[in-house]
Amino acid sequence: MTPILEFQNIVRAFKKGVPVLDGVTFSMQEGEVLGLLGRNGSGKTTLIRIAMGMLFPQAGTVRVFGISPTGDPVAVKKRIGYVAEEQVLPTGSNIAELFAFHRYLFPTWDSKLERQLLDRFSLTGNAQQIRQLSKGQARQVALMCAVCHRPELLILDEPAGGLDPAARREFLETSIQLLNREGTAILFSSHHMNDVERLGGRVVLLDDGKVRLDRQLDQIHEDHCVAMIPRSAVPDAATLERLPGCLRARPVFDDWHAVFQGTPDAVRRELQESLGLDGIRCVSVPLEELFVEMVGSSRLAEASS
Amino acid sequence: MQLLINPSDELPIYRQIMRQITEAIAGGRLKSGDKLTSHRELSEQLVIAPLTVKKAYDELEALGFIETQRGRGTFVCATLPQPDYEKQMEQIQAAARKLLSQAYLAGLRFAEVVKALEEAERELTKGPAASQEKESV
Repeated sequence: MTPILEFQNIVRAFKKGVPVLDGVTFSMQEGEVLGLLGRNGSGKTTLIRIAMGMLFPQAGTVRVFGISPTGDPVAVKKRIGYVAEEQVLPTGSNIAELFAFHRYLFPTWDSKLERQLLDRFSLTGNAQQIRQLSKGQARQVALMCAVCHRPELLILDEPAGGLDPAARREFLETSIQLLNREGTAILFSSHHMNDVERLGGRVVLLDDGKVRLDRQLDQIHEDHCVAMIPRSAVPDAATLERLPGCLRARPVFDDWHAVFQGTPDAVRRELQESLGLDGIRCVSVPLEELFVEMVGSSRLAEASS
Repeated sequence: MQLLINPSDELPIYRQIMRQITEAIAGGRLKSGDKLTSHRELSEQLVIAPLTVKKAYDELEALGFIETQRGRGTFVCATLPQPDYEKQMEQIQAAARKLLSQAYLAGLRFAEVVKALEEAERELTKGPAASQEKESV
């Protein structure tokens, strides 16, 4: 089956010699939900813009529904819904005019879904001017523009950015309903780990221009742990990272914190054997902690250095 | 019954759902033949992905706690899985030893451990909400 989205060895730099994306490869199947995670500046938005055909990759190939998004942009955009991080809606028009425009652009526009969502978002004043909308309402209108033509792939770039918790939850509720009713595939980037947990599915973590982690969320929970190892036991992080199953190690005050693939018990047993020492603690951690351990910087105690 | 999930828990959400349903069955709050909330409804109620609910239900079905009747919905099984009594008792005794030694190390008395067990019993049969109300009084 052709993947609905496919990145192969994508490279993109905005400054010569400083690639933001340095060989990113992954693909998405029909109906899949994929959370794109990474620190600020890790290239999430760049990657999404490449998928949308808004940026050329400097190397590598991107295919959406098997089509190049820059080769045949119309064929691709017909089947995609997209909410950008900094969504710009035409401020001079009202909601009804905006939707009329989209209905004209997209033959598959579903007016029934439009009415349902308007109702749900309490955006009853259809003649409401776009410039008078709150940030949350504007985001809801942008979401409607992205979903009412019933896309096969929905791309949300930080959908919750800058929204209050209630607006974020409403946005999430709508996404869940769409998943339930339409089975739309969703690619979203987010810094809200609780939202990632709720949407579920698969997680791709970008760091240093590369995919650092690409696994199902449940597997991440059940098959990863953080080991805390005394600093004196190992000379440097690279030694730990060479151990089988180690994804990343960093110094945190008097310990090494190392992310391992495996259950806490199994990892502790293996570490005790390979390092020959007791006093290693291994714990399962929530996604937020795992994120910090995977991409957080070293934290050295000033006094000990 | 009302389920509660915590997305920032280290336990995956589907496991949280499984645990609450098996606890409700153990405590008699869910009985044989009771109908469970549909995938779609539960997914929208808890604001979690439909696949997460499906995974929880599928695992519970594989364990023999619930069954799906096509076109009618999901129900608690008429006959629940009967575990091996002796093996279960062994595990319970081991857990009891561990519980008691932890309590004694913490300087608690036997009566206090019994009280904690009674509390757990209430929670299991009446639901966590009931015990929370009690605490806040």
